[in-house]
Amino acid sequence: MIKLFERRRRITVQRIKKKKSPFIYKSYSKKPKHTWLKKRKAAERRFKRAGFIAILISSLFLVSLVWNIFSSGHSAFTETQIELPVSFDADLIEQGAYRKIIQNSLLDVFPKVNTRKEKRSLFVLISRSAPYVLKNLVEQNPELIGTKQDMWLLASSAVSIFYKQRLLEESNRIGNINGLQAGWITQLAQSKRMRLDFNFAFFTNGDSREAEQAGVLVSAIGSFLTILICVLMAFPLGVATAIYLEEFAPRSWFTDFIEININNLAAVPSIIFGLLGLSIYLNFFGVPRSSSLVGGMVLALLILPVIVISTRNALQAVPQSIRHAAAALGATPTQVVFHHTLIYALPGIMTGVILGIARAFGETAPLLMIGMVAFIADVPKGITDPATTLPVQVYLWANNPELGFVEKTAAAIMVLLGFMVLINLLAVYVRRRYEIKW
Amino acid sequence: MIAKQKTVKTEVKTPNNICMKTESLSVFYNDEQALFDVNLDIHNNKVTALIGPSGCGKSTFMRCLNRMNDYVDGCRITGKVRLDGFNIYKDNVDTILLRQKVGMVFQKPNPFPKSIFENVAYGPKIHKLTSNRDELETLVEKTLKRVGLWDEVSDRLSSPGTSLSGGQQQRLCIARAIATEPEVILMDEPCSALDPIATARIEELIAELEKRYTIVIITHSMQQAERVSDYTAFFHMGHIIESGDTKTIFNNPKNQRTKDYIGGKFG
Repeated sequence: MIKLFERRRRITVQRIKKKKSPFIYKSYSKKPKHTWLKKRKAAERRFKRAGFIAILISSLFLVSLVWNIFSSGHSAFTETQIELPVSFDADLIEQGAYRKIIQNSLLDVFPKVNTRKEKRSLFVLISRSAPYVLKNLVEQNPELIGTKQDMWLLASSAVSIFYKQRLLEESNRIGNINGLQAGWITQLAQSKRMRLDFNFAFFTNGDSREAEQAGVLVSAIGSFLTILICVLMAFPLGVATAIYLEEFAPRSWFTDFIEININNLAAVPSIIFGLLGLSIYLNFFGVPRSSSLVGGMVLALLILPVIVISTRNALQAVPQSIRHAAAALGATPTQVVFHHTLIYALPGIMTGVILGIARAFGETAPLLMIGMVAFIADVPKGITDPATTLPVQVYLWANNPELGFVEKTAAAIMVLLGFMVLINLLAVYVRRRYEIKW
Repeated sequence: MIAKQKTVKTEVKTPNNICMKTESLSVFYNDEQALFDVNLDIHNNKVTALIGPSGCGKSTFMRCLNRMNDYVDGCRITGKVRLDGFNIYKDNVDTILLRQKVGMVFQKPNPFPKSIFENVAYGPKIHKLTSNRDELETLVEKTLKRVGLWDEVSDRLSSPGTSLSGGQQQRLCIARAIATEPEVILMDEPCSALDPIATARIEELIAELEKRYTIVIITHSMQQAERVSDYTAFFHMGHIIESGDTKTIFNNPKNQRTKDYIGGKFG
């Protein structure tokens, strides 16, 4: 009797459970009847896990890349300075021997240095730019002549690296520093005659043979001029091409052919465009070599397909009904495009253009072919002046055997990445702010 | 009026109460015939309903009336469509002026994603119907009042037309169409995307507009056709099976297929 009752109870319980949640697999019973369901869920879990691991690995790469750049590049934002008692001797100033003034003040600090060889080692502690700094200072403040001042002077890059690295870890010789020099630097540091200061020169100078004076300003300006030319050329061309193909051209084998070609153009290796620029722009049209004009023209070819494709996509996203509505009101096809379709597609077009700019901004290979890889120390005054761009500057510094350029390379990459992030943020902002949802 | 050069030859005397008239109109889409010798009179200041099952050629026929078929690839038209006696398929006809005279309202409300004001003002602007901003504002207000939208939107004329409800959007589209002072308004299933209340408002509006404009309306709702129209044409397989007075068509159809369609046996 009791057994029977119990059994019945169990059945009711089971039935209630079944009724309550027929779709929850666990509540059917503890033993999985539906092994296929379990398998399917396991497959799903596996897939999720694989995706997660993929993301983890790729972000690991990204983090290690950024960390690598940052750790070797952050020191480039500071410069090492040495304090010296400079006596502005009137005779020497008249002769213009500012180098001699600095050498004298170095000898003041280290009077025991006698031999010619030792002196040579001593004198290279201070950057070669220091005499010019003194000269400028004296020209602006003539009252300094005849006085003696304690001045912070820029150290050479070898000293700078040694000093910066010494701060981090006690290691011995680094780079071109010999034992004598290491001793002097230690002595200077102990007497608090060395300090680190923010490296303004990195943002106000152009390229230089001396690592401690090299900066990114010239290449950044070159980049902007190049991008300006590139956009001025590629934007109207690309948008006009896309509008014609999308809105006016009748579908025929010819437009199909053009479309296939444009899509293929987007996949052409960028150095090919450089060769094209070399043979057509430079050799045939005679555009000034290594100018931002020719760089922009080459990069325009590069981003033209990107702009055409993104513009066509943006135009396609505008519903046909809007075009019909405008046409039914009596708008001419041109009016339909310029009053409606193009306006509504503009946010999408701008996003595409900005991403195209980001691509052009980071492009190096084609610019190498048209001579933008030259050593440029002066700010280009116009689009026909020789110029270089940030990524090319990175390439140049990375190839430089001098140790001081290692940190400069990494720092230039950081500046480049900073601009990239800004450009991409701009693209996101434009898309979020102006995009029309249909 | 529509023809750039008025030639006496193109003008054919039509009875005063006929606004548009098609004469043996045939339409081909890439050698596939969609309309077969359609002859239909559209009466002045009356509502003409086009009914028929899907794919029977109603929309094709309607698009012929303001030459929207020009936008369809591979579309070829033979026969004549006369508006006030002029064949609108003559070479010297300017489609821009034609479409000012023959407005169109679409199936799905499709206001421009611009302000409500801009939506209504667009037609008058491109046809230069007004000479200054004040006139334009007066025209927009008048038009919005005519479609009964003024009270609802007068305080937010600068908000986008797409922010309105579906029924309001469709009335905005009607306002946009009548702002250019057309003679004929074509409506391609104007209520198919709307709820019954919005539909009722549009139907009221149609009855109101009928006094000033000639209206051609496509509808899949027999009741709507019966309610709003004065004349009805029944299309089937690209032919007009029967056309005439709405009451006659609905109460006393001559053709068996019309009877079946209206009775709900097919379609």
